[in-house]
Amino acid sequence: MEGVGLTEYLVVAGILFVSGVVCMATKRNAIGVLMGVELVLNGANVNFVAFSRYTKLGLDGQVISLFVIVLAAAEAAVALAIALNFYNNHLTIDVDRGDELKG
Amino acid sequence: MSGANFLFWVYALAAGGSAIAVVLTQNVVRMAFWLIVSLGSTAGLFFLLGADFVGAAQLLVYVGGTLVLLIFGVMLTASGPFINMKTNPGELVLAGVVGCALLGVILSTTGAVAWDALPSSQHQQKLGFNPPEDGSTLRPLGMSFIGLRPDKDLDRKGTSGQLSTGYLLPFEIVSVHLLVVLVGAAYLARAKRRQGS
Amino acid sequence: MDPQTYQSTGEMLRNLLTLAWLLPLAGFVLEVFAGYWSHRLSRAAAYSAVFCIAAGFVCSFAALMYWGHQTHWSALESHASPADHHDVLKYFSGTYYTLAEFGKLRIAIDYHIDSLTLVMFTMVTLIATMIHIFAIGYMSDELTEHYEDHQVHTAHGHFHRPGRFYMFFAYLSLFSFSMLGLVLAGNVFQVFVFWELVGVCSYFLIGFYFERKSASTAANKAFIMNRVGDFGFLIGLMILWTWFGTFQFNERVESDANGRDVVMPGLFDMLRDDHGNVTVLPANDHDSYARVFLADPGHSGALKHEGHKEGKTMPYFLLVVAGLGIFAGCVGKSAQFPLQTWLPDAMEGPTPVSALVHSATMVAAGVYLAGRFYPMFLPEVLLTIAYVGCITLFMAATIAVVATDIKRVLAYSTISQLGYMMLGIGVGGWTAGLFHLITHAFFKSLMFLCSGSVIHGCHHEQEMPKMGGLIRKMPITAYTMLVGVIAICGLAIPGISIFGIKIAFSGYHSKDAIIATAMTFSQLNGSHFLLFVVPLLGAGITAFYMFRLWFYTFIGQPRDHHVYDHAHESPVVMWAPLIVLSFFAAFVAFKGEAGSLFKLLLDTEPASVAHGLHDVGLAGDLNFPSHVGIEENHKAAGLYALLVAVMGTTLAYLFYGARVLNPAEVKRQFAGVHNFLVEKWQFDILYDAAFVRPVHVIAKWFVAFDRNVLDGFLHATARTAVSIATLDRRFDETVVDGLVNLVGNVTYDAGRSLRYVQTGRLRQYVMFIVLGVVGIWIVMRLFAA
Repeated sequence: MEGVGLTEYLVVAGILFVSGVVCMATKRNAIGVLMGVELVLNGANVNFVAFSRYTKLGLDGQVISLFVIVLAAAEAAVALAIALNFYNNHLTIDVDRGDELKG
Repeated sequence: MSGANFLFWVYALAAGGSAIAVVLTQNVVRMAFWLIVSLGSTAGLFFLLGADFVGAAQLLVYVGGTLVLLIFGVMLTASGPFINMKTNPGELVLAGVVGCALLGVILSTTGAVAWDALPSSQHQQKLGFNPPEDGSTLRPLGMSFIGLRPDKDLDRKGTSGQLSTGYLLPFEIVSVHLLVVLVGAAYLARAKRRQGS
Repeated sequence: MDPQTYQSTGEMLRNLLTLAWLLPLAGFVLEVFAGYWSHRLSRAAAYSAVFCIAAGFVCSFAALMYWGHQTHWSALESHASPADHHDVLKYFSGTYYTLAEFGKLRIAIDYHIDSLTLVMFTMVTLIATMIHIFAIGYMSDELTEHYEDHQVHTAHGHFHRPGRFYMFFAYLSLFSFSMLGLVLAGNVFQVFVFWELVGVCSYFLIGFYFERKSASTAANKAFIMNRVGDFGFLIGLMILWTWFGTFQFNERVESDANGRDVVMPGLFDMLRDDHGNVTVLPANDHDSYARVFLADPGHSGALKHEGHKEGKTMPYFLLVVAGLGIFAGCVGKSAQFPLQTWLPDAMEGPTPVSALVHSATMVAAGVYLAGRFYPMFLPEVLLTIAYVGCITLFMAATIAVVATDIKRVLAYSTISQLGYMMLGIGVGGWTAGLFHLITHAFFKSLMFLCSGSVIHGCHHEQEMPKMGGLIRKMPITAYTMLVGVIAICGLAIPGISIFGIKIAFSGYHSKDAIIATAMTFSQLNGSHFLLFVVPLLGAGITAFYMFRLWFYTFIGQPRDHHVYDHAHESPVVMWAPLIVLSFFAAFVAFKGEAGSLFKLLLDTEPASVAHGLHDVGLAGDLNFPSHVGIEENHKAAGLYALLVAVMGTTLAYLFYGARVLNPAEVKRQFAGVHNFLVEKWQFDILYDAAFVRPVHVIAKWFVAFDRNVLDGFLHATARTAVSIATLDRRFDETVVDGLVNLVGNVTYDAGRSLRYVQTGRLRQYVMFIVLGVVGIWIVMRLFAA
């Protein structure tokens, strides 16, 4: 087997990304959806760092992935707060119940 | 097969497999566990890519912080024993099919690009600014924050005094943002006393 | 008389007459609003009107006395030629207020005071006062909230309305003001303004019972007939304005920019020199028609020096036209031939109105103007005036013979007497004409008031055939009426005189003067003998119809017992004025032409009259009598006139008093003539055929034109507009609205259909995103290939 290159990292990132998306699409638990989001963000992070390593992007990729990590943390905090409020109002965490704004 | 390659495959399989496990698992706590494995493996991949500070941040923030937060969330919103939140099998199948299609799209797109032809991949290795044996990207990262880019500027031979843009200000903004978000989250999630009870 | 005395006397006269003039106007303003400060049952308006006019009389009389005192009654002294004394106050004129000035042209409110003005003022205010007092009694049935008009029939019986007592007196006051203003006016334009004002008062008063069709028609008729005359008046004014550039009667002293006095000549000064002569430049090679010399403004003295002629000329015929135009106004106002038909119809008004407006004052205004404007009349115009008067007096007298309505007899008598006055002025008897005007005003207003008293006593019965024998019921009325009848007939006791004074009433003297003048005139101009014969004949007819009226009404057996039984003498407020007026009717012309009234008028006589004129006119064949010539014929003329009058009186006595002759047989014998006279010489029929019907026909044509052509065009336009609007509406409703609605509906439907996409389910959205990405990729791949 040849040396591991950019393509392999991208494949891994793609798998992570698709897993996250499918997780978002299938989980009825809000926390599960949140986990899917984390996976998606991770896939993107892998891409950034891989490009940082293998392309002209350089340290920019790492910096951006750092930002993504931080923002993901913030997002998780807010999302959890929302989920808690949702739970307080509906006594459940099922996202299918939150459809008051349907057309 | 070198050790680095072996480690890559280990981490790659762990990350991808546990991510799929997250999808397939129905129990939230187990999902959280598999997510830890997946995120940790990703941190390993970062290390392999020579981004040791990012990997460390990944472990600290994600695995150490975010997931603990998620688990707290799971515990705070624990449902009763009779509440069924299982997904329909039909939906599951449909989501799988669509997910596979999306994966196909991504993989085919990735594979369609000739990455090796990019000019910069060899160039950076020659410079050796980020040699794996040094094991530290902390200093370059810190310098890039104030605009000094040893990976880019040093080969310009003083053609211009123009430096790259620093990340210090965005970093500070992100820091404050994070603080604000945390405060806001604490406010949103605070225990409300229900009226009349 | 020194200038200071002249000035102070004139201002005193002006102040007195202005007060007398404006008091009735104040009365009018007060009375016309009497409905607000008083009520319909109150006589307050009448009292205020009487007070105003009586105060006016006091002022006028005081002015007359003051004038006489200041002039030491020089006017009354015997003098052959009034033009001889320049040192006495002949006239005093000035300006109240200048309305407008256009360069040298100027319109102002002027006054002109001379003995004629003073006499007219005194006469008008005295008669008006008496008539006002009389009207308090006569109009008392208007003092009610529910006046029942027996001559207006509605679907619910007689017409009922609130009484208009105060309005009657308001109109009377307005009339008095207008009439006095007319007399006081110092320029002819101002005369015209007040001319129209008295006309409109006459219109109001004739139409006082305007609910009656006959009254409103008569008012319209009077007004329209007067318009015909006033049209001529306006033409005359325009000619004068164009050629003379002033309306002023007499010269006016004005300070120019340097403070010097400049004499601005009036109409008379420009036309005539100091001896009253007109300078006529005959037609020559340069001029195809004769011209009249006018003294140039600013060179008023030009004509005084013979041979020195500065000024301008105007065509002779234009001055004739101007004179005829002014006279046309007089014809309309004084109901002369051919505009005489309105005056008998004007008897629809209340009887005090007939007495004041339509016998004594307003209709005499035409004669007054003819007299006032005498210097502007060229010989041809004077001849026209004489003939018009002659025709009128004969025609009206003949109609009066057959009239049976007591007021209409008096109306025709008025026309006839006005004809006498015109004739007198026309034949050069200036003083005689105006003398008759004054005497006639007294005895005719007296007779009208008597007839009013009769009508009042007989409960508004005006037909003489239903009266008779009323002397037993209303003796005061009958005897005062007799005074008036004798006065108008000109009866006298010939040969006998007490202390050199003839025993005769006023009418004898004035008519005598006119007939004497006419006789002299016809002697001087043989071809115009009719101007003497006709008035002489007219005197006889006058005596006949007046005594016919008196006998018919007061003597003999009652013909209608219903009327007779309810007849009664009028209250004191009505017969007291009769007594006063009968006194004046009898003695106002005391001593005749040697008397004070005649002398007063003579003082104002234009300069050219006294000496007569010989061989004047464009043809040069007209002669006007001098005072001396008239004096020679006076005795003979008086005798002729008296003879004829006695004959007329005797005839009337035989017909209606003694009943020796039967008027019905005469009527049968001369049925044609009788009908002709009853139909008023066919004038109404003639005018109807000549003017009224053609106007109606033309009006019908215009109506048809309007209806068919103009209306048709308008309707077609309207229809086109409507159809275009309908089309436009359809376009709006279908196309414009359709487009807007289509856009709205499409948007709405799209929204409605897209609504189902918004399921509100989070996981579905994620699926959509993914599917979207995949779909985009597929599409890109397809098209990239």
